[in-house]
Amino acid sequence: MRIRAVVSATLASAGILIAGWQSGTHVADTASATGTTAGPASAGSTGAGTGTTGSAGSGAGSSSKSSSGSAGSSAAASGSTGSSGASSNAGGTFAGDVVQTRFGSVQVQISVTGGKITDVTALQLTDEDRRSVQISNRAAPLLRAEVLKAQSANVQTISGATVTSSAYLTSLQAALDAAHL
Amino acid sequence: MNTTTQTALRPAARRAPAARNPFKGQHRRRMLQADLLTVIAWASLAGAVALWLADGGAAGFSTLAGAFTAVGIVAGLAGMDLVLLMLLLAARLPVIDGAVGHDRALEFHRKLGKPSLYLLLAHGVLLAIGYGLAEGLDPVSEAVALWVLVPDMWLAYVSMALFIAVVVTSLVAVRRRFPYEFWYAVHLLTYAAVLTSLPHQFSVGGLFAEGTWQRWYWLAVCIGTGAALVHYRVLEPIVATVRHQLRVSRVVAVGHGVVSIEMAGRHLDELSGSGGRFFIWRFLAPGQWWHPHPFSLSAEPLQLDADGGGRLRITVRNLGRGSAALARLKPGTRVAVEGPYGLFSTASRSRRHVVMIGAGIGITPIRALLERTPFEPGDATVILRGHSPSGLYLGDEILELCQRRGATLFHLTGRRPRGAQTWLPESEARSGYRLASYVPELADADVYVCGPAGWALNVLDDARRAGVREEQLHYERFDW
Repeated sequence: MRIRAVVSATLASAGILIAGWQSGTHVADTASATGTTAGPASAGSTGAGTGTTGSAGSGAGSSSKSSSGSAGSSAAASGSTGSSGASSNAGGTFAGDVVQTRFGSVQVQISVTGGKITDVTALQLTDEDRRSVQISNRAAPLLRAEVLKAQSANVQTISGATVTSSAYLTSLQAALDAAHL
Repeated sequence: MNTTTQTALRPAARRAPAARNPFKGQHRRRMLQADLLTVIAWASLAGAVALWLADGGAAGFSTLAGAFTAVGIVAGLAGMDLVLLMLLLAARLPVIDGAVGHDRALEFHRKLGKPSLYLLLAHGVLLAIGYGLAEGLDPVSEAVALWVLVPDMWLAYVSMALFIAVVVTSLVAVRRRFPYEFWYAVHLLTYAAVLTSLPHQFSVGGLFAEGTWQRWYWLAVCIGTGAALVHYRVLEPIVATVRHQLRVSRVVAVGHGVVSIEMAGRHLDELSGSGGRFFIWRFLAPGQWWHPHPFSLSAEPLQLDADGGGRLRITVRNLGRGSAALARLKPGTRVAVEGPYGLFSTASRSRRHVVMIGAGIGITPIRALLERTPFEPGDATVILRGHSPSGLYLGDEILELCQRRGATLFHLTGRRPRGAQTWLPESEARSGYRLASYVPELADADVYVCGPAGWALNVLDDARRAGVREEQLHYERFDW
């Protein structure tokens, strides 16, 4: 009787753990898949811009490898802001500061046309673990919509993604400052 | 010689030995139920870890900080799962009580106490280290930062302190130094500990962020446990108390310091057949109502009229201050009742033969079990043990029942020998008697033992040496 209990408990537990493990690797796959699709999408959205877009794209590419390196490249990105600063009200893309959080770095870039924010792109989002990636993927579109509606960084944080939201808005504010908006 | 041996009735002729065992099916079902519960318990633990694995948590091991964090999260999940299992084991669920019995359930409950505390402590320490490494802080500063900066985390710290208090006061060495009431009051803090730990699980832990299926699973498990506790520990007792309308009808002295309390009530037919099982009684008199007493019925409920109105009886000894006050109960006192609980009953029978052994006040549940548990004449043996014949409470009633039902009865009285590990009186022990001397078919019998803990363990050892298997031994602990 007890042997039966031990054997079935072991089998059931092992089965549950393996099932969890398998769906976990599945989550990891889809998360990295969305990561790669996010890249081209951001490149596409900033396609209206000129040479700065290309550098931003490469900046995002390197940031996914090492967050400390991306901090350096973001400085370069904000440097490019200066070059486009002359035509601030005319338009262009402006990258905000890199904001460090417990769950990873956050940096956003805005596209401005005729003094209006036409697009917000996340160059980096909290991606410390799979959960953070999922939270980011959920929060980013909502934040983008809010910002485009409000035309400022003065929007509500997303509940359940407070850390990501506040970092997003902080970086956004820096980008807005750079664009003199 | 202060020992008497009585044989109430010897079967004239032994019936065919190959008689069918009517309890085989019942026993098999109960063992299956117990095994299933074991599997569910382990599966829930695996499930808690799988929640995290399914979230891709294993990827966290790529960095040192991530590894600390990952192990910390798993420890928290497993610890909380154990805490929920402990709550369920103490929730008096019929499915658990019917499979392993109330006392075994509480034994598992106690066994899980320390592991769950260690897991929760590890959870706190490892996450402080893991988060600290990620942010370049030492664990203490990180712990302070978590307390100050992260919402709901201060509640988690309060919860941790409460859990430590509950487990420490439940350690045997500590528990003995304080009265039962103190331990009980601190133990109630468990609920506060669990409740204060919940907010941070859902708000700080990313695993249970909004919109994840893991959040729904965890919510379901927590709410299910809470609902089971409320239903079986609060609602059912209230319903039973209101339905049975028990009042003390009279209090009769049975022996020195021993009284039988008779109660009248309604629908008592629903409680019949629970002889040997125990109820938790609260006598709703000033200064007494808050004190729960676990006592078995000492007689099957007597039904007096068609709608179930009738009487039942418990027999108790002055063991503590609370029990002493019971002798002074006034007729008409209302009684709140919970139960029946435990497996000291026909429900745990597995064999045709049955042996019932009681000592002191432990004789009273034997009396109730003897009244109704099914056996053929000659298949049952009753052994009563006391210091003196006056300590064999309800002895006359038991003798009468044995005569009527055809059970063999032994009275064993006298002090036990000094320094020897035996349950027998001195003269019997010196003669080399054992349990098997009284019950030839012992190896193929259910053995029910009720009495003081040390004595009962000696009986159980004797039975085991005679080849009685663990599943045939039925011993209910009444001490806490």
